[in-house]
Amino acid sequence: MSVALEVQNLSVEFNTQGGRVQAVRDVSFAVNSGETLAIVGESGCGKSVTMMSIMGLIPMPPGKVVSGSALLNGRNILGLTNNALNKIRGSEVGMIFQDPMNALNPTMRVGDQIAETLIIHRGMKRAEALQQAVRLLDRTKIPEAKNRARQYPFEFSGGMLQRAMIAMSLACNPSILIADEPTTALDVTIQNQVLELMREIQREEQMAIVLITHDLGVVARMADEVAVMYAGQIIESGSAHDVFHRSAHPYTLGLKSAMPSIADTANKNHVLQAIAGSPPDLFSPPKGCGYCSRCPHAMNVCATTPVDMIVINRTENHHSRCWLQHPQANRPVDDLFQPALTGSE
Amino acid sequence: MKHFIPTPNDFLPLVKAEEAEAIVRPSLSYWQDAWQRLKQNRRALWSLYLIVALLGFSFVLPVIVSLDPIKQDLTQLSQSPGLSRTSVIVETLPWSGRYAEAAISTANTPNTEFTSMTVADLRLVANAHTESVRLTWEPLAGAAYYRIYRHILVPSGSTDLGLPLGATERPAQVSYEDRLKLKTTDYYYSVVAVNKAGVDSLFATLKVSAHHATGINDAISRGLLGDVIDRDNVLNTEIQLQQHILGTDQLGRDMLSRLAYGGQTSLFIGLVAPFIFVVIGIIYGGLAGYLGGRVDEVMMRFADFVIALPFLLFMILFRVAMGIGSGESGILPMLIALVALSWPSIARLVRGQVLQLREQPFIEAAQLMGANSSYLIWRHMLPNVMGVVLVSLTFAIPSAIFTEAFLSFIGMGVAPPTPSWGAMCNDGVKSFLSHPHELLLPAVLISLTVLAFNLLGDGLRDALDSRMKGSR
Amino acid sequence: MLEVKGLHKHFQLNNKQILHAVDGVSLSIKKNTIVGLVGESGSGKSTLGKALVGLHNKTAGEVFYCGEKLPAEYSASDFRRFSQQIQMIFQDPYASLNPRMTIEEILTEPLRIQGQLNKGQRRKLAIEWLQKVNLHASHLGRYPHEFSGGQRQRIGIARALIIEPDFVVCDEPISALDVSVQAQVVNLLGELQKSMGLTLLFIAHDLSMVRYISDVMVVMYLGRVVEEGAADDVFFSPLHPYTQALIESNPVADPDSERHKQHKLIKGEVPSPVNLPSGCRFAGRCDKVMDQCLQQEPELKPVVGSERRVACHLIS
Repeated sequence: MSVALEVQNLSVEFNTQGGRVQAVRDVSFAVNSGETLAIVGESGCGKSVTMMSIMGLIPMPPGKVVSGSALLNGRNILGLTNNALNKIRGSEVGMIFQDPMNALNPTMRVGDQIAETLIIHRGMKRAEALQQAVRLLDRTKIPEAKNRARQYPFEFSGGMLQRAMIAMSLACNPSILIADEPTTALDVTIQNQVLELMREIQREEQMAIVLITHDLGVVARMADEVAVMYAGQIIESGSAHDVFHRSAHPYTLGLKSAMPSIADTANKNHVLQAIAGSPPDLFSPPKGCGYCSRCPHAMNVCATTPVDMIVINRTENHHSRCWLQHPQANRPVDDLFQPALTGSE
Repeated sequence: MKHFIPTPNDFLPLVKAEEAEAIVRPSLSYWQDAWQRLKQNRRALWSLYLIVALLGFSFVLPVIVSLDPIKQDLTQLSQSPGLSRTSVIVETLPWSGRYAEAAISTANTPNTEFTSMTVADLRLVANAHTESVRLTWEPLAGAAYYRIYRHILVPSGSTDLGLPLGATERPAQVSYEDRLKLKTTDYYYSVVAVNKAGVDSLFATLKVSAHHATGINDAISRGLLGDVIDRDNVLNTEIQLQQHILGTDQLGRDMLSRLAYGGQTSLFIGLVAPFIFVVIGIIYGGLAGYLGGRVDEVMMRFADFVIALPFLLFMILFRVAMGIGSGESGILPMLIALVALSWPSIARLVRGQVLQLREQPFIEAAQLMGANSSYLIWRHMLPNVMGVVLVSLTFAIPSAIFTEAFLSFIGMGVAPPTPSWGAMCNDGVKSFLSHPHELLLPAVLISLTVLAFNLLGDGLRDALDSRMKGSR
Repeated sequence: MLEVKGLHKHFQLNNKQILHAVDGVSLSIKKNTIVGLVGESGSGKSTLGKALVGLHNKTAGEVFYCGEKLPAEYSASDFRRFSQQIQMIFQDPYASLNPRMTIEEILTEPLRIQGQLNKGQRRKLAIEWLQKVNLHASHLGRYPHEFSGGQRQRIGIARALIIEPDFVVCDEPISALDVSVQAQVVNLLGELQKSMGLTLLFIAHDLSMVRYISDVMVVMYLGRVVEEGAADDVFFSPLHPYTQALIESNPVADPDSERHKQHKLIKGEVPSPVNLPSGCRFAGRCDKVMDQCLQQEPELKPVVGSERRVACHLIS
């Protein structure tokens, strides 16, 4: 199992009329091939900007990568020219987006668009490429792929379009698939189909998937590793099991208790725990922890000093960006997973 | 952070201030916010200043300073821009001339050869001024008569002496008076001696700077000297001529006044016509969009029909229908034609906006409360349409100004003597080579106005647009 | 309290085709309950909500409110009459507040239109309601764009409730909001429902949330109600194959169960409401389809021995 994508200390800024927005602050993560990393967070937390800036898809200026590196199969792709990135985007990395209608050319037949990728990146002949395009559509379980390939994007439903996008991103056997809210616009039954398709293809291709989403249900369904983002930072990362069942950050806990639990069949009187307030303004991120103002367990230090990722479990790679995990902190918080003091550092 | 050593106090619970949801930024309404953004756009802001200046120039200046765009100043025709000029009052009686007695004998000899090598001592008799230039020279033996030329440049040779003014009648006449109206510039007079055989190889050239002068009779009749006139005393005194900072046109009318009053015409049409047709467009488009369905369909087809009508043809039709002949003022038909044919574009725009707004939940919410149509239109739709309308109004103004200028230029606008920038351009074209200011000044003003309004419109659109995005 | 009988709402499309958005829905809503209405996009749940409050004309069918028949087509005066009893909370918190109005103008608008109270009283009430939805009196002079999505939705709730209606249609009030904010809004709605004795029709596509908030759950598919019953019953023991598939597809935030569960996929997509299939509308996607399903459309019938109603040939 090799590391497909490793991002280290990525920081991205936007220079806007109103000032500098620190959209991504010191983000590091890695995805192994054959595994799925879910980056989860609310709107505006920087989860999309992170991936877009790695793939060179944010306009610069106003955007600017301040620091960091992104190793794709061992090669740093941050700061590559647009041409070089173009090559990578079509072949080594596949991408699907929330709104496939925007990603496809509305005046071109779907089959032709997939074939075009094959012609450009794999140097296929047109007829051969078209055949391959039909095979790809067939593989993403689009019924009557041969006829469908001759249709235009507007003749496809949302779910079908997302399948076509997956087919297109698979065209050059990418080693990594970036899926930015791929099922947010879809109904649950269709979402189910698309997610299942992604997992099936991942199993066959041993491809790495970076799944960007706000839906914890989708994360639970898909992810091996989870990174929770808040206010431009990763505040907790680790295996899906650890992040969900041994949540080591108050925000992760807060998200979980803000959702209705269906585990307790009868207990309807359990009240949703809303997180008060709203995320901080990234024009001037708070001095200390970004979650401090909404955190029910905030301490003095949280307001004054930024906190590093603290190791919760070294072997499981579970980290949390929270002062509560500091050995000196009093540890009275219920629910918040904390390892025995000896286990942490 | 590596060096951060926490104290136990750091880990005590944080006492949070109340009002976690208070908004710190100052509250700005839509228009205040748009104005803030516009202020940051320097191009748009300067355009706005320029527009204010132009409006002031056209509408305020004539009130403060009395300007007369029609009065002709015949002493100063096609005067180029400059500071105030003085003029000397002169007698304009013709000059009897100077005759050389001594030269007659030489002139009478049958010798056809010139005895001297040049026309000697060409000089001015009196001060040269714009009413008359009196030249004299020493007689040249062998000359049968003399020809006089005038040039505005230094003559380069005997074939380039300029405008032939005339010739003397006798060899003894060694003088010439140029009474053709001159300008206050330098002239080069040449006197060519011609012998009986017609040889005209000898000439002399004199540079003459003409002062501005006014004939005493002219001065009296134009009232330049006031009521009390003592002919002997005023003669040869200097009087101050009327000042024309931007010069005059070929009829001696003050350019500054004409530009200011011309601006009134141009800006009047440019502001009033768009204003009227925008109002009509809002009402028409708003109604079509709000009523929707069949009514909308019929109303918009009519708007399409109006858009298809050719403007110039209609302009002419209106003139004919209103009984306005060529050369008569056509401001009203121009206004009517502009209004009658330009509203559909605004109507379309507003209709589109209203159709979009009609589906907005906040309209539905108000509807649900039981709001009636006029309330919905006035309170909800119009305020949301105004931004787009304002931008298109700002773009409609320069195009109306340009249309006015164009129509006046081709003689379908205002009638003389009423000035308008377009009509002034038309006048100026004729004398562009000799008096370029007559074309350039109004042309520059038209360009500045059109440019300023367009830049302002651009700025407004950006300010309002980004505001819309910012609200998301 | 509210009785819907055979409600149809059809839209005439350009090409003379008819879109059957709501196609014969019968429903009764009891006072003081929260009814959750779920379904996928195109199921007609939002159209039904808008038809109930009068924003859509009713093509056919009748709606009785406290025994009084609501008009099929509303005039402004009808709205004025019924809006004191029936209100609506909208989906998009960004588009449902007029960007040119201050919060005070937005909140007092219903009172102003109704001609209730004087200016000072209206203002006092607006402040009261701002505090009820956990905002501050100082927010009165501000404009909607200065608020976050959750805050705006709370303002929308205050506007709908300020004239103290009895029945409120909540049209996907949380689907545009982030998870942490959804809870704020849902909790607020729950509290207000209890304290004001409201009856709510809560339209959403998030099954867990609907289960959490509502007493009764109604499932719609292609303009029809396919299942109706107590929320927990429907959620934990769905009877209709579509409800089963829907709940099966609902992702749960628990990787241990979710990742290793064998997901039963339902095939295909929702057919177009323009060309409706004959027979059962779900037949084309149903894995328990029978011959009868293709010919005869099942009616919504009570299930023996319970308060539930299901439209499926398998059940009867």
